[in-house]
Amino acid sequence: MDMFLTVIGALNVGFLQTLKLFAVTLIGALPLGLIISFGSMSRFMPLRWLTKTVVWIIRGTPLMLQLLILFFVPGIVLDSGSPWPSGESGRFLASAIAFIINYACYFSEIYRGGIQGVPCGQQEAGEVLGMTKSQIFLHVTLLQMVKRIVPPMSNEIITLVKDTSLARIISLQEIIWAGYAFIKSSHGYSGLVWPLFFTGVYYLAFNGVLTLLFGWVEKKLDFFQ
Amino acid sequence: MKNMKKLWALLLALAMTFSLAACGGTSDEETTTDDQTTEDTAAESDLAYVQDKGTLVVGITEFEPMDYQDADGNWIGFDADMASEFAESLGVSVEFQVIDWDNKVMELDGKTIDVVWNGMTLTEDVLAAMECSQPYLINQQVVVVPADVADQYQTEDSLADLAFAVEIGSAGCEVAAANGYNYTEVADQATALLEVASGTADAAIIDSLMAGAMIGEGTSYADLTSTVALTSEEYGVGFRKGSDLAAALNEFLDGKYADGSIQTLAETYGVQDALVAE
Amino acid sequence: MSILEVHHIEKHFGATRVLEDISFDLEQGQALAIIGSSGSGKTTLLRCLNFLEKPDKGTISVAGNLIFDAADPATQRESEVRKKRLHFGLVFQSFNLFPQYTALKNVTLARELLAQEQPGFKENKKKILEEIQADGRELLAKMGLSERADHYPSQLSGGQQQRVAIARALALHPDILCFDEPTSALDPELTGEVLRVIRELAEQRTTMIIVTHEMAFARDVADQVIFMDGGVIVEQGDARQVIEHPREERTRQFLSRYAEG
Repeated sequence: MDMFLTVIGALNVGFLQTLKLFAVTLIGALPLGLIISFGSMSRFMPLRWLTKTVVWIIRGTPLMLQLLILFFVPGIVLDSGSPWPSGESGRFLASAIAFIINYACYFSEIYRGGIQGVPCGQQEAGEVLGMTKSQIFLHVTLLQMVKRIVPPMSNEIITLVKDTSLARIISLQEIIWAGYAFIKSSHGYSGLVWPLFFTGVYYLAFNGVLTLLFGWVEKKLDFFQ
Repeated sequence: MKNMKKLWALLLALAMTFSLAACGGTSDEETTTDDQTTEDTAAESDLAYVQDKGTLVVGITEFEPMDYQDADGNWIGFDADMASEFAESLGVSVEFQVIDWDNKVMELDGKTIDVVWNGMTLTEDVLAAMECSQPYLINQQVVVVPADVADQYQTEDSLADLAFAVEIGSAGCEVAAANGYNYTEVADQATALLEVASGTADAAIIDSLMAGAMIGEGTSYADLTSTVALTSEEYGVGFRKGSDLAAALNEFLDGKYADGSIQTLAETYGVQDALVAE
Repeated sequence: MSILEVHHIEKHFGATRVLEDISFDLEQGQALAIIGSSGSGKTTLLRCLNFLEKPDKGTISVAGNLIFDAADPATQRESEVRKKRLHFGLVFQSFNLFPQYTALKNVTLARELLAQEQPGFKENKKKILEEIQADGRELLAKMGLSERADHYPSQLSGGQQQRVAIARALALHPDILCFDEPTSALDPELTGEVLRVIRELAEQRTTMIIVTHEMAFARDVADQVIFMDGGVIVEQGDARQVIEHPREERTRQFLSRYAEG
C-alpha cells in the first residue's frame, strides 16, 4: 500500500507536467495556427510560399527531432552557452515552444480546410448585404468553420495528449518518464514495471473526458447543417 | 460576446502584423559577429564559465548507489555527494539534472549541463567525446540470468547459446559484440533486466555495481542473479571536450585520497571494494 | 429620369470577353427580365451590378448618381462600395442563406449590423432592435412564412428558403432587387410559390432585374426583356413584343429551342 501511494504520488507529479504541456500547447497553438492559416491563404505570394515551406518542414519532420534540435543546437552553436534556463523550467520551455509550433502547423491546415470549406456563396451573400469583411468573418463564416473543424480538431487534440510523452527525449519528466523511472530506480524502488503500464490509465481517463467534451460540442453545433 | 469580438479583432490585427514582419525582417543575421572575441576567451576556460554563472549543472540518471533521491527528494549517492563537494570547492552551487543517457554528449555540447557524473564507464567512445577525469571506481560487466538456471551458466563457454539483452552503446554491449553473442540492444540497463525478468531475453549484461543494488534478495528482481564477470572497466567523470574542469577535478580527487575522505564516502555507499587505489 | 443607367459595360475573365458594350436603362417601378442561354453573360452582368465582379469598362448610375466608373478609381473605394451596393439587393440561385441563423435572423442580421454602426445606437438599442425584428416578421409574413420565422434553413423546403432569401434582400430596402435564376435550383413543384411572390412584388411596382429561364413568367411579369447571347445584348424591348415577336434571328432560334424543350 505504501508502495502504491508512493507510485501514484510520483505519477501524479508526472501527469501534472503532462497536463501543463498539453494546456500550454493548446493555448499557444490554437491562435498561432489561425495566423499561419491566414498566411497560407494570403494573396501575397512570398508570404504564402514562406508559410507553406515552414508548414512543410514542421509537418515533414518528426516532432522528436524538432525537440532535440530546438533544445540542443542553440547551445552547441552559440559560444555564450545554452539560451535555455537550466533545470526543469528550461526543458519545459523548449518543449512548449516545439509543441506549439508543431501543432500550430497541423491546426493551420485544419483551419484552412474549415475556412475554404465554407461555400463562397456565404461570403457573397454577406457582401451584397453590405457587411464588412470582418463582420462576414465573425457573423457568417466563423461558426460554420468551427462546426467543420471540430471533428478533425478533436482527433488532433487527442493525439496531442499522447504526443506530450515525446518531451521525455529532452528529459521533461512527464508521466511516462515518471513511470519509467520506477523500472530504473526511483523513490527507493527499482525494477517496478507496473507503474509504466499504469500510466495508460491516466491517458485513457483524460482522453475519455476530452472525447465526452468534443461530443458535447458537436452536439451543441448540431442545430444547423 | 463583446470581449470575443475584441479578441478576434486583436487576432486579426496580429495576423496582419505577423505578415508584415514576415516580409521585412530578414536583416538580423550579422549582428552577432561583434561579440565573438569576448566569448572566445570565456569559452577557453570552462572553469571560468561555470564560476561566472555560479552553478555546476550535473547530468545524472537515477542510479543507485551513485545518484539517487532520499526520502526528502535530495540527491545523494557516492557520485552525487562527491559532485556537491566538488562544486563547493569551486565556489559554485550544484544543480542535479536528470537526463536521457543517450543524449549525454549533446547535453554537454549544448551547455544544458556541465558534467556527466553518473557511474560512467570510460569507454573509447566516451574518452573520444568528452574530457574525462581519472578513473575512480572499478566496475565489472556481469551476466545476469534467472536464479533457477544460474548453475548452467557459470563459465564463459556456457553462454554461447543465450539470447542477451544489453543497453545500447554500453560496455556490456561492446563485450557482447566482441564475444560474438546473440544480443538485442535495449534502451538502458533497467530495461535489459526487465527483458530477463519477463523472459523476452535469456540473460543481460550489466554493471556489477548496478547488479549489486538491483537484483537478488530484497530487490524487485529477487529471482535474478549474476554469474560470470566478463570484463572490468573504470568509472570516470566526463566534461565538455577540452574543458579545464577535468584537471580541476583530478586535483580535487587527489586531495580526497590524501585525507582519506573518499574511502569514508565509499564505505557509506558500500562501494569501497570497487574504489580505485590511488 | 431612370433609376438605373448602365453604359458600355465590358468584362473579361483573363483573355475571354464575357460582356461587351452592355447598355440599358431601367425606370422606377419596372421589372426587367434578362434571358439567354447559359454562358451568355447574364449572371455576370447581375454580379457586376452588385459589385461582386468589377467591370473593365463602363459606368453605372443609380437615380442620376454615378456610382461606378471603370475609368475612375475614386468610385471603386472599398469603403464606399459597401454603401453603394445597398442600392441593390441580390437573390441567389442557390439561396445562400446563413445556415446557423433562423429565418428571422437571416432577414434581420445585416440591418442589425448596420444599426450598430449608427451613432446613438447604444442609447436606443432595445427600441431599434425591436423595430428591426418587427420589420423582419412583417417581411416574412408577406412571403407567407409567418409560421417559419424561427426555423433554421435546413428545416425549410427549397421554395421556403428562397422566399426567406427574398425577404432578406428586401430588408435593406434596395432601390433595385436582382434575381439570379431564382427558381433554377428548385424542384418544378416548388417554383410556383417563388414565382408567385415575385409576381406580387412586380404588382407592387418593385424595381426588379430578373435573370430567368421561365419565358412565360418573363413575358407576363416583366415590362422589358433583354436577350443576351455571347456577352452582347442581341435584342431588348417590350417584354411581350420581344418574346412573342422577336425581331432578331438569334432571339427566334433561342425562343424556339425553349418552346420545344
